[in-house]
Amino acid sequence: MTVPLEGYLLLSAAVFCIGVFGVLVRRNALLFLMSVELMLNAANINLVAFGLEYGNLTGQLFALFVIALAAAEVAVGIGIIVSFDRNFESIDVTDAVTMRW
Amino acid sequence: MTLTTLPEWAALGPVFALVATALLVLLVNTVAPDSDHGGLFATLTTGGGLTGLGITVWYLLGDTGQPDGGGPIVLFDGNLVVDGMALFFTVVLTSVVVLVGLASYDYLESYPDRAAYYSLTLLSATGMTLLAAANSFVIAFISIELISLPSYALVASMKHDRGSVEGGLKYFLVGALSSAILAYGISLVYVSTGSLGFEPVAEAIVRDGIEFPGILGFGILMILGGFAFKMAAVPFHFWAPEAYEGAPAPVSAFLSSASKAAGFVVTFRVFTQVFDGALGVVDWVVAAQVLAVVTMTVGNLAALRQERIKRLLAYSSIGHAGFALIALAALTGGDDTFVLTAGMAHLFVYGFMNTGAFLIVALGEYWGLGRRIEDYNGLREQAPFAAVAMTVFLYSLAGLPAGGGFLSKLYLLWASLEGGVAVLAVALILNSAISVFYYSRVVRAMWTEPPADDLDIEEHPTGLYAAIALALLFTVLLAPGFGFVLEFAETGADIVTG
Repeated sequence: MTVPLEGYLLLSAAVFCIGVFGVLVRRNALLFLMSVELMLNAANINLVAFGLEYGNLTGQLFALFVIALAAAEVAVGIGIIVSFDRNFESIDVTDAVTMRW
Repeated sequence: MTLTTLPEWAALGPVFALVATALLVLLVNTVAPDSDHGGLFATLTTGGGLTGLGITVWYLLGDTGQPDGGGPIVLFDGNLVVDGMALFFTVVLTSVVVLVGLASYDYLESYPDRAAYYSLTLLSATGMTLLAAANSFVIAFISIELISLPSYALVASMKHDRGSVEGGLKYFLVGALSSAILAYGISLVYVSTGSLGFEPVAEAIVRDGIEFPGILGFGILMILGGFAFKMAAVPFHFWAPEAYEGAPAPVSAFLSSASKAAGFVVTFRVFTQVFDGALGVVDWVVAAQVLAVVTMTVGNLAALRQERIKRLLAYSSIGHAGFALIALAALTGGDDTFVLTAGMAHLFVYGFMNTGAFLIVALGEYWGLGRRIEDYNGLREQAPFAAVAMTVFLYSLAGLPAGGGFLSKLYLLWASLEGGVAVLAVALILNSAISVFYYSRVVRAMWTEPPADDLDIEEHPTGLYAAIALALLFTVLLAPGFGFVLEFAETGADIVTG
């Protein structure tokens, strides 16, 4: 049984929207990061599914790069969040307001 | 000329020079981690930048990658292209690296981990030069991440300074979000065209018509959004004032000049070359017009009410992103080469005058002046050179005839008329008039206000002064030499739009 292509597009759009929702409502920096991961994985779903459809490896190859870059991004991000926690004793992104206006 | 003497991959010389220097800095730090190498690292960074700059200028003068010299050099199966535009922007990027490398030596005197600072700067610059030569969405995405990840760390590098960490966190959060949007946009373009190289995508759009125009349209808008983050254009500009204010001042100079220029080069390339045939799917020229007008207005109006000098410069740099976006917004099918040329030339001049202005702030922080505009009161008495240089930088940014900024804004105005978009011309003039007000506040503070009683400047750091003098020299010289810049910009723009 094969899944129709529209199915993959709908799935990825749903995952992307869940990610956007998480970004908008979460106050915890780590959950923000997870939401961004969801958005990146939504892109990967598209890339891999349509790589199969078009019969070339471009999409799957790019998906591998996206996965690696997402890991690198999290590594840097966690570092910044740790040093934020040391300075502000919180990882709530709404606490980062000392410079506003 | 170089084609006959050098292998093709040598066209990427500037990229190799920067990445090799970054690795060299790390190597020195690994071999002798405990000794103080501040001077050596600064020399290496400046040297790496100069090597890249020298190679690029040599290629430009030798017609490498230009129509007279055999056309663009395409490398790695069409993934990278070295043409006039890539080389033109590499000149800006490497020049900024040289200025920042020079200035950082004094600024970082008491800084704990200088090897990390210099190598991250160099790696980020590597990403920028690579992005200027990117010819596929894969390379463009990877280069953007290579620019961004070191930048996040650089902004947050003062680990015990709350402002620095807070700026870094905000920069990282907005950056992570926008790179996810960019990745999804790229995946949608792949869904509708089946390829990721710039040329194959452009061909697919023109050849097949588009099966799912809605998907491609969403993809294009998301990609524009992802690039807007790098350009610090509305609606992805929120990070800029926070990150520039929190970061060490040379890093702010680096990000606001080089990172922005890199964002623009990929945007110019993608939208003129790839999505040129997709205007029927989504009218991105109108989107760019809205972005340009909104960005320059938001940037300049917000700058009016800033009390702190770095935030003022940050909003001014957002305003300048709006000005440079005219180069996309006026691509209405008139003289497209001229429009693009004007935008490229503006970014060239902007690279020097904006870096210079931020380096004066670095000098102020070195002296411990404080962050508000009043803290620069009466600077003329203690540091006349800095006051003169800052005045030239600011009035050149405003578009007054104090340096190259006047001519580049004149050309942007001409370009918006050439494209037949009068609203852009009106917005450009109004916003430049607004900008004169807030730049004048800083100038007035330096020249007419009496200095604070405790203002006492004894040190005149050589590296910072040298970097500022160089930036000043180029800002002034670019007024008579503007024709020279235009000539190279036009050759670069011609290949892309042609």
